Amino acid sequence: MTDAITVLGARLRFGETAALESVSVSIPQGACFGIVGESGSGKTTLMRAMLGLQRLDAGEIRILGTPLQQGRAALRQRARVVQPIFQDPAASLSPRSRIRTLMNEVGTVLKEPHAATHERLLVILKRLGLPDSVIDKYPHEISGGQARRVAIARALLVKPSILIADEPTAGLDVSVQGDLLNLLQDIRRAENITLVVISHNLAVVRLIAENAIVMRAGRVVEGGEVGPLFASPRQSYTRELFAAWPSLASNNKGR
Amino acid sequence: MAISLRDLSVDYNLPIGTAHALRNVSLDIQKGEMLGLVGESGSGKSTVAFALMGLLANNATVTSGTAIIEGREFDLTKPNATAPLRGRGMAMIFQDPMLSLNPVFTIGTQLIEVLRRRAPDSDRKTRIAQAEDALAKVKLSNPKQRMNQYPHELSGGMRQRVVIAMALLSEPALLIADEPTTALDVTVEAQIMREIIGLRDRIGCAVLLITHSLGLVTEHCDRISVLYAGERLESGSVRDVQRQPGHPYTRMLFDCEIPIDRERHADTAQNRFTVIAGELPDPRRRPPGCIFNGRCDVSFADCAKVVPGDYPVAGNAAHGARCLRLVTP
Repeated sequence: MTDAITVLGARLRFGETAALESVSVSIPQGACFGIVGESGSGKTTLMRAMLGLQRLDAGEIRILGTPLQQGRAALRQRARVVQPIFQDPAASLSPRSRIRTLMNEVGTVLKEPHAATHERLLVILKRLGLPDSVIDKYPHEISGGQARRVAIARALLVKPSILIADEPTAGLDVSVQGDLLNLLQDIRRAENITLVVISHNLAVVRLIAENAIVMRAGRVVEGGEVGPLFASPRQSYTRELFAAWPSLASNNKGR
Repeated sequence: MAISLRDLSVDYNLPIGTAHALRNVSLDIQKGEMLGLVGESGSGKSTVAFALMGLLANNATVTSGTAIIEGREFDLTKPNATAPLRGRGMAMIFQDPMLSLNPVFTIGTQLIEVLRRRAPDSDRKTRIAQAEDALAKVKLSNPKQRMNQYPHELSGGMRQRVVIAMALLSEPALLIADEPTTALDVTVEAQIMREIIGLRDRIGCAVLLITHSLGLVTEHCDRISVLYAGERLESGSVRDVQRQPGHPYTRMLFDCEIPIDRERHADTAQNRFTVIAGELPDPRRRPPGCIFNGRCDVSFADCAKVVPGDYPVAGNAAHGARCLRLVTP
């Protein structure tokens, strides 16, 4: 089967810094793929490149076997296949328009009558546990967790086959992050969506992804099946990263 | 010389009514000890820090509360009650180090400023040496060069180290760290926590660590207090609370944490995550009975009527929780 996303020898420099350096990744279809690494490791840059929002200096990206092309027509075409959920969903909602306006935009892109879009939206909102009234709200009137759901609803409305989520649980409390993760799990199972999760939360990626890569300073340090990758990392950096994760079990205080 | 906070209550006056952010919260921290104050967004944990530091917003009113710091008692309901302690008896590390650093002055100038306030009689040369020494102690590379740099020239982790160095120089009796590592990477987080612990051990101060991460608390703190919707639901030693949570909320919070070594289903779509269903109560109208009633999985009829007191857990006076289950046979 063709890979959902293939990245071949991607290279990108911002001045002196290498944002991406010979990055090659194959993301298989229908699975969940994790990209982990610290800030500045190039995770988000790679995501932007996969979405065609960032031109590469060298290298190639293929979405479902089709090479990524620049230009508005190609972007429109691609929007139906790949959809992003950005890290700060509230920041990607216009503070001056209601959620409804944002959702209608999707209808315009899909060349679908607004009534039909709206009908599908109501179904999706129900799935995500959002009240219908959210449509008529402004971004500042909804909570952070709701804003993230709205971003997911918008992405799903386009009926993509690949969903790329950048730090989906960042800024959420532990009591609600589970809810969002369960939701992503349900969606990918029900819709057979390829889910790419970019996160610094190693514990989360370990549980939801089949395969993952570890990035550092624009390079892929290590990659492979999550089970062996987390159980016995081969690279010292990966080991260091995993060891730094605070563990609940080892409380060696006890005063 | 313990730090003691008694019956702190804070209200925020909002256009939609008065929100009770904190209700009779008490905390005790021994010298040389680190207390982890955990709670979700909206639980009021930062309000505790701001009330202690006297940094509350204009629309906030402290309706009750006293603090005992270094043997002196402060009535927190009075404006600027703890002003004499700022920069001497108390220091604070914020989530965003840029909030504590002035962008137009060099690191050196800002460190020396602390010393000028603390020891007005010392001369400039001594101050510079002390400041460089502090930077070296928090393991910032090239202290001499850093002294002449501006905050924007440093990374987030380096800036947080500078703020810790500032705290070190002011030798506080109480150090408040409000989400000090939230904006940092895990590897840097571990280093910064080590520096905070190093500072505590060096000057023997009490540390109040405010965080939403139970992982950080169980790894680094001696005691833990759990805050929910402005009320302290549980407190005790980290070991006791972890072994036997006295309040269902604490137990549920621990269940929501995702351990890195949790059992992993090979079909990853099968891995599920724990959630605390429901929402925070309206801060303007406290529901009768237990504040956590409604989200609790073991509540019974009395929970909706009786406000629980602070009961010892397993007969341990140093471990208390506000849950009626503890006194119901």
